[in-house]
Amino acid sequence: MTVIDLITRVDAICKKYEKYDIDKHKEANVTGDDAFARLYGVVESEIDAALQKSEAAATEKSRATAVAMNAEIRRTKARLLEELPKLQRLALKKVKGLSREELEARNDLVYSLKDRIEAIPDGSTAAAKQSGGVSGGWAASSSYTGIKIDSSSEEAFESEYFQQTEESDRFRQEYEMRRMKQDQGLEVIAEGLDTLKNMAHDMNEEIDRQMPLMDEIDEKVDRAASDLKNTNVRLKDTVNQLRSSRNFCIDIILLCIILGIAAYLYNVLK
Amino acid sequence: MSTSDPSKLISKADKLTKLSLTRWSADWKSATVLYEQAANGFRVARNYEKAKLAFEKASQGQEMLSSPWDAAKHMESAAALAKELRNWAEVIDFYRKASELYMQCDRPQPASDALAKGARALEDALPDDAIQLYTDACVILEDDGKEQMAFDLYRAATSVYVKLEKYTDAAAFLLRLGLAADKCNARNSQCKAYLSAIIVYLYAHDLKQAEKCYNDCSQIDAFLGSDQNRCASKLLSAYTEGDVEEIKRVAQSSAISNLDNVIIKLARKLPTGDVSAFKTDAANEEEPLDENDLT
Repeated sequence: MTVIDLITRVDAICKKYEKYDIDKHKEANVTGDDAFARLYGVVESEIDAALQKSEAAATEKSRATAVAMNAEIRRTKARLLEELPKLQRLALKKVKGLSREELEARNDLVYSLKDRIEAIPDGSTAAAKQSGGVSGGWAASSSYTGIKIDSSSEEAFESEYFQQTEESDRFRQEYEMRRMKQDQGLEVIAEGLDTLKNMAHDMNEEIDRQMPLMDEIDEKVDRAASDLKNTNVRLKDTVNQLRSSRNFCIDIILLCIILGIAAYLYNVLK
Repeated sequence: MSTSDPSKLISKADKLTKLSLTRWSADWKSATVLYEQAANGFRVARNYEKAKLAFEKASQGQEMLSSPWDAAKHMESAAALAKELRNWAEVIDFYRKASELYMQCDRPQPASDALAKGARALEDALPDDAIQLYTDACVILEDDGKEQMAFDLYRAATSVYVKLEKYTDAAAFLLRLGLAADKCNARNSQCKAYLSAIIVYLYAHDLKQAEKCYNDCSQIDAFLGSDQNRCASKLLSAYTEGDVEEIKRVAQSSAISNLDNVIIKLARKLPTGDVSAFKTDAANEEEPLDENDLT
């Protein structure tokens, strides 16, 4: 069979089963009157094109081409999202020859369209593993700057700006672990310091309490000491007086005289 | 003399003091000496009843000899023996008498010490009387201007109140402690007292009182800038939000762990009752404001 024969045969078969061709019917249905259906068809075809492009970008080896394609997809998505409100307004308009259920269904269609548009992958949420060392280095250096600034920039890590590599992932995990450990250590120190502060305050108050007592003791002891000194001096004086040699000799002489008188009387009486 | 039978000593001393036809004035001096010896003998022999009696008589003798200090000392020993015998009414009596005698000597501190000892002995048996004794002891010290010594007494009285579950009284006592601390510039004790008062109110599940207390205490500068203030505000905000986890976390914090043991136990048991009730209360309070704004 020649090619021409094949083509003629295919055409004949298509014509025979034309009524089963949904796409053609859809296109035939889109008449000039129904603006909604027209716009809807346009949007749908653009969504399909965008999906195809995103699939191609996912498998693309060259980074630059992939980035360009992703940017193109994003532009398309933005444009489609802008056209959605128009579509919504059209959906609410009544068209002759359309049943009420279909009118309501159009609203739902518009909403589902929105979801489909946003679901088109444009490389921002994908964690595509790139084996390029350059991109890995770039991501790692960005995590360096993240450490320097402050912890609030961590959210930036999750956004579309930084692609992740294994190295940067590991590095970030280590950083997180070390920070957690540091925090724990600091908490322990803080608690210890709290206890110390409380003990110091209590000791301060205790010493304040005991100060007047010590003053009183001091005073009393001073008084007692001076009393004792006084008493000692007086005692010394008294004892001296008692023990003075003059009194002592007088005592002995008087004693001898008395003994002498007693002996004399004893002799006389015997 | 000390080896002779104490009962014989007592009877001899009694004879010396009893007035009769042959004796026109009691010989208190020798009698007191004999009484003391007899009392010691009885105490060694563990005859507490007779020893207590002997100490009483000895104290009386010392009073007659106008030495209130010795009299007070004997009264205290008699009271200690009465505690052994668990004769609570006599314990109260003796300690009060001893304290009066100390005041006669112009020594307020031993007086309050005597009352405190009595209160401690009575804590388990007659808590209300114990609290009365503690209060009197604190009053004596405050009159003398020695509030610092009263801190311990206030804390002991508060723990007795908490045991009796009289939380408002306990909180009132803590506020008195704060006042005493303020007078002697003991900031740490003051702030701790206020925080303890707030915790006691919260334990009694009285959020309004606790907030009022917090507002009152915030007027005081010393409390306003302290750790305890921050802890109290955290606790109260956790209560108004009805966040049980937060309450438990604040109760574990170090500011609360530095308080009295009794208060720590109360704090660990927070929250009592339904905290979400406070949350709805707070929400309800805001509605009338909105209506006013609209009109």
